[in-house]
Amino acid sequence: MVERIKTELGAALEGISIAEVNYRERGYHLSLEVAAGALLKVARFFDERGFYLSAIICVDYKEYLELVYIFSNHTSLCKVKVSLKIDPAKPVAPTISTIFDCAYWHEREIREFYGVLFDGHPNMTYLFLHDGIDSYPMRREKVPVSDEDKRALGSSRPGEGEDTFFVNLGPQHPSTHGVLRVVLKMDGEYVEEAEPVLGYLHRMHEKMAENRSYQQFLPNTARMDYLGPMAFNLGYVTAVERLCGIGVPDRANYVRVILTELNRLSSHLMWLGAYLADLGALTPFLFVFDDREQINDILEPVTGSRLTYCYFRFGGLYNDVDETFITGTKAFIARMRSRFVLYDKLVSGNVIFTNRTRGIGVISKERARKQAVSGPVLRGAGIAMDIRKMEPCAAYGELDFEIPVGTRGDALDMYHVRVREMENAVKIIEQALARLPEGPFMTEKVPKKLKPPKGDLYHTVETPRGELGIYIVSDESDKPYRMKWRVPSFSNLMIFPELAKGNMLADAVAILGSLDLVIPEIDR
Amino acid sequence: MEKEIFPVKFAVVEKVLDLARANSLWPMTFGLACCAIEMMSTAMSRFDLDRFGAGAFRATPRQADLMIVTGTVTKKMAPVLTTLYEQMPSPKWVIAMGNCAISGGPFVFEGQYNIIEGVDLLVPVDVYVPGCPPRPEALLEGFLKLEEKITGTRRFPGPENRW
Amino acid sequence: MEQIGNMIGWETVKMVIGLIGVLAFVVFNALILTWAERKVAGHMQRRIGPKEVGPYGLIQPIADALKLLGKEILTPRDVDKPLYCLAPMIIFVPVLVSFVVIPFSSSLLVMDINVGILVILAFSSLSVFSILMAGWGSNNKYALIGAIRSIAQNIAYEIPLLLSLLPIIMMTNSFSLKTIAEAQSGLWFIFYQPVAFLIYFIAGVAETNRTPFDLPEAESELVAGYHTEYSGMRFALFFLAEYTNIFIVSAIAVTFFLGGYQGPFLPGIVWFLLKSYFLVFVIMWLRWTFPRVRFDQLLNISWKALIPLSFINLLVTGGLLKL
Repeated sequence: MVERIKTELGAALEGISIAEVNYRERGYHLSLEVAAGALLKVARFFDERGFYLSAIICVDYKEYLELVYIFSNHTSLCKVKVSLKIDPAKPVAPTISTIFDCAYWHEREIREFYGVLFDGHPNMTYLFLHDGIDSYPMRREKVPVSDEDKRALGSSRPGEGEDTFFVNLGPQHPSTHGVLRVVLKMDGEYVEEAEPVLGYLHRMHEKMAENRSYQQFLPNTARMDYLGPMAFNLGYVTAVERLCGIGVPDRANYVRVILTELNRLSSHLMWLGAYLADLGALTPFLFVFDDREQINDILEPVTGSRLTYCYFRFGGLYNDVDETFITGTKAFIARMRSRFVLYDKLVSGNVIFTNRTRGIGVISKERARKQAVSGPVLRGAGIAMDIRKMEPCAAYGELDFEIPVGTRGDALDMYHVRVREMENAVKIIEQALARLPEGPFMTEKVPKKLKPPKGDLYHTVETPRGELGIYIVSDESDKPYRMKWRVPSFSNLMIFPELAKGNMLADAVAILGSLDLVIPEIDR
Repeated sequence: MEKEIFPVKFAVVEKVLDLARANSLWPMTFGLACCAIEMMSTAMSRFDLDRFGAGAFRATPRQADLMIVTGTVTKKMAPVLTTLYEQMPSPKWVIAMGNCAISGGPFVFEGQYNIIEGVDLLVPVDVYVPGCPPRPEALLEGFLKLEEKITGTRRFPGPENRW
Repeated sequence: MEQIGNMIGWETVKMVIGLIGVLAFVVFNALILTWAERKVAGHMQRRIGPKEVGPYGLIQPIADALKLLGKEILTPRDVDKPLYCLAPMIIFVPVLVSFVVIPFSSSLLVMDINVGILVILAFSSLSVFSILMAGWGSNNKYALIGAIRSIAQNIAYEIPLLLSLLPIIMMTNSFSLKTIAEAQSGLWFIFYQPVAFLIYFIAGVAETNRTPFDLPEAESELVAGYHTEYSGMRFALFFLAEYTNIFIVSAIAVTFFLGGYQGPFLPGIVWFLLKSYFLVFVIMWLRWTFPRVRFDQLLNISWKALIPLSFINLLVTGGLLKL
C-alpha cells in the first residue's frame, strides 16, 4: 500500500518532495512538504483514495508556523504526514473543510489558539476560548490579538427565525455528559440545527505539556479522559517509549493489556448506565456502578487510586501485581459473565429501548470517513477498523479477539457493538491472565531525565471511545516542544449536528448518548 | 449560607427547622469534571447518600438547596455557575469538592489563562473536601460536616472523639 | 352536638367532617408515598433508602416537608404572576373533589353522588389547566415544552380512560362508585373485563405523568418540565398533587375492578387501603424498570392502539350484555 501511494503521488503531483521515513520511529510512513497552493490538490488526492484526515496540528517553530496534516487509512496501515510551512507574522492557509468535513473544527481550534486564518472557512469564530482573550495562547511568545481579530472571533450570535426558537441543552446537565452546551434551533419538537459550544472545561493540557517534563505530565493524562484513563496513560507511555527507544519487559506488557481492558470494561459499563439514564431507565445505572466498584476493588490495591490512575511508567509499571490481583481478576471475570446475561435480559430485549434506538442517528460509511469518527461509532457504522489490530502496542499483537461490526449504523448498533466489545474485553483479560509471564516489571536503566532525540512522532492507541493520536515534537530537552492530543470524542462530536437535524428532541438526546462523549478530553 | 435576619428569634422553631434542613439536603446535579464521577459513586449503591436524606438530586436549581461544585471552574463556566447559585432559593449551601474547586488543583501553573483558582472566588463555600478526586467516604464526611455546621451537633462520632 | 346538628343540618356537619378527613388523608398519604417511593427505589437498586432520619427513615418525609416550608418564597422576575401563583393551588381542586366520592369502606364515604365517576373524570380534565398555567406562566422554554407535552398526553389518554370504564358502568347500570363496589360481592370485575383493566391501568399511569410516560418531566432532556421554576412550598404542592393522583388512579382501579372494600375477615377500609397501595407499588415498580417512551410513540400508543382496543372491548361487552 505504501509503495503504491508513493508511486501514485509521485506521478500525480510534481514539485513535491516525498520522503519515506522509518515507521517505527515516526509513526507515519511518508512525509510530504507542500506549499499552500498544492494543499487542496493533495487533499483531494487522498480523499479519492479513501483516506481519512486523522488530525491537523499546528506547531510554532519561532521562524515559521508548521501545519501538519496526518492522513490515515481504514483498511490498510498507511499514514502520511503532509506539512505546510506558513509565515508567523501573517499566518494564512487554505481550508480543506470543503473536502474533509472534520477539518471544520480542527481549523477553528488552530485559529483561536495560534491565529492562523483559513481562507474560505465558513465560520472562524471562538470554539473553546471565551470572548475577549488577549493573546493567542499556544504561541511560544506572547502574540496579542488585534481588535479586528477579536471582533471576528467573537461574532457568532444566533439569529431567531419566524417559527423557530432556541433551546440550550446544558451546560448544566441533569444527565452525565459533562459540561457540553448544545444550542438547538427548534421548530416545535423538531430540531432544525444543533451547534455544540465547547470550552467549558478547557484546562490547558497542551500548554501544560510544554511547561512540564515528560514524567511530570503523567498525572495529566488520566484527567483528560476520566472514564478511560488507563488507555490515555498507555498511549502516552508507549509514545514516549517509542520516541526514546526504551524497551518494555513482557510481564509489563501483559499487565498493561489486562489493566487497559479492565478499564475498557469499566468505561463501557458507565456508558451503558448513562445512556439508559438518558433514556429514562434509572435502575441499570446503579447496577453498572456496582460492577465498576468491583473493578475498582481490583485496581485500587495495584494502582493506588479509584479514578485517575497513574500507574504506567516509562519502561514498565509502577509496581508489580501480586497473587491477590490475579485471583481477584479471575473471580471478577466469572461474575461478569453472569452479569452480561443479566444486562441482556434487562435491556436488549426491552421493546421500549429498541423502539427508542432503532433507526436513530444512522451514520453511513462515507460520512464516517469524511468526519473521521473512530471507535465503536465507526464500527457501528460498518467499517471494521480497530487500532488494537492494526497497530498493536503492548501485548495486543499476541492475543486473539474479534472486532464487532454493526450493519445499520444506528444507535442500537452502537449499543450492540459496545456490548460485544465488553465480552471481547473479558476474553482478552482471560487470555492475558493465562499467559502472564514471570519476570521483571520494569526495564533497568531508564534515565531519570528523559531526553528524547530530535524529531516528531505520531502514535495512536485505541481508547474505549476511539482513536487517540498523540503527536510529540521533541527538541532534545527534557520538556516536550509540542504535544498534541487528537482525541476521539472531538471527531465523534462533529458528526452530531448533521445527525440531529430533522429529529425530535428526545432523539437528539439519544444520538448524543450513543456517541459516548467525554467532555474533558474534547476540551483538553 | 444565607439566612434572613429577623428581629425576633424563635429558638425552638429555628432548631427544628435546622434539623429538618440538615436531614433533607437536596443536591443539584452540577458535575463538571472527574470529581463528578466520585460524586455519582457516592450516590450509588455502595456508599448510598440517600441514607442521609440527600439522595433526591434535583436538576433545576430552584428545587435544590445544596450545590456541590465538582471539578475545575473555567472562565467560560464562571458566569453560568454564579447564575445557578443566584437562582437557588435560600437557605442554600455550597460544598467545594476536589482540589480544583478549592484552589485550582493541578492546573495552576505560571501562564495559565483559563481557570478560576478556587470556586470560593465566585460563591461563598461552606465545606471544602480535598482530594483529587476525594474518595466517596471523604464526600460523606463533608456531608456530615455540613450537617454539623447547620445543626451544631454531629451525627456520628468523628475519629477524634471516638474514645 | 345534637343542637349544632339540628341547627345547621346533619348532612352539612357530616360533609365538613368528611372534608377534614379527606384533607388529613391527603397529607398522610403524601407523606407515606414519598417515603415509600424512596425506599422502593432504594431496594430495587440494591441499596437502602433513607435510614438515618428516624427508624427506617420514617421521619424523612416530615423533614422534607419542614425544609420545603422553610424555603424562601421566590418569584422569578419575569413570570406572569397571577398564572404562576395560582397554578399550584388549582392543581389541588380535582384531587380533593375526587376524594369526596371514593368509597373507603361501606360507611366511610363523604357523599354518595349518583354520577360519581363522571365528577371525577370531569374534574381531572381541569388539572390540564393548571399545568398549562404553570408552563406558560413560568416564562421558561423548558417549562413550556414540558407543559405542551403534558397537555397533549393528558388529552390523548383521557379517552381510553373513560372508554375502559364504560363497560363496567354498562354492566352495573350506575355511575356511582359505591354501587359499583357493592356489585362486586360475587366475582370481581377484573375477571369479567381483564382487557379493560389493562387499558385503564396504562391510561392511568399516563395521566399521572409517571414513567414510562413521564416525558413532560424528562429529566435528561428538559431539566424538570413544567415545574422547573417552582421552589419551596409551591413545588411541594405540585409534588403532593402528583402523589395523590397516583393514589386516586389506584383507588378507582380498585373500586371498579378489584372489588373496592369487599373482602373477608378484615374491615372494609383495610382491604381498600391494601389493594390500593398494592397498585401504587406496581406503579412505582414500573417507574424503576422501564425507560421512557418517546413522545410521538406515546401518542401513537394511545390513538392507534388503546382507543381502538377499548372500542372493540366496549362493543363486545355491549353485545354480550344484550344476549
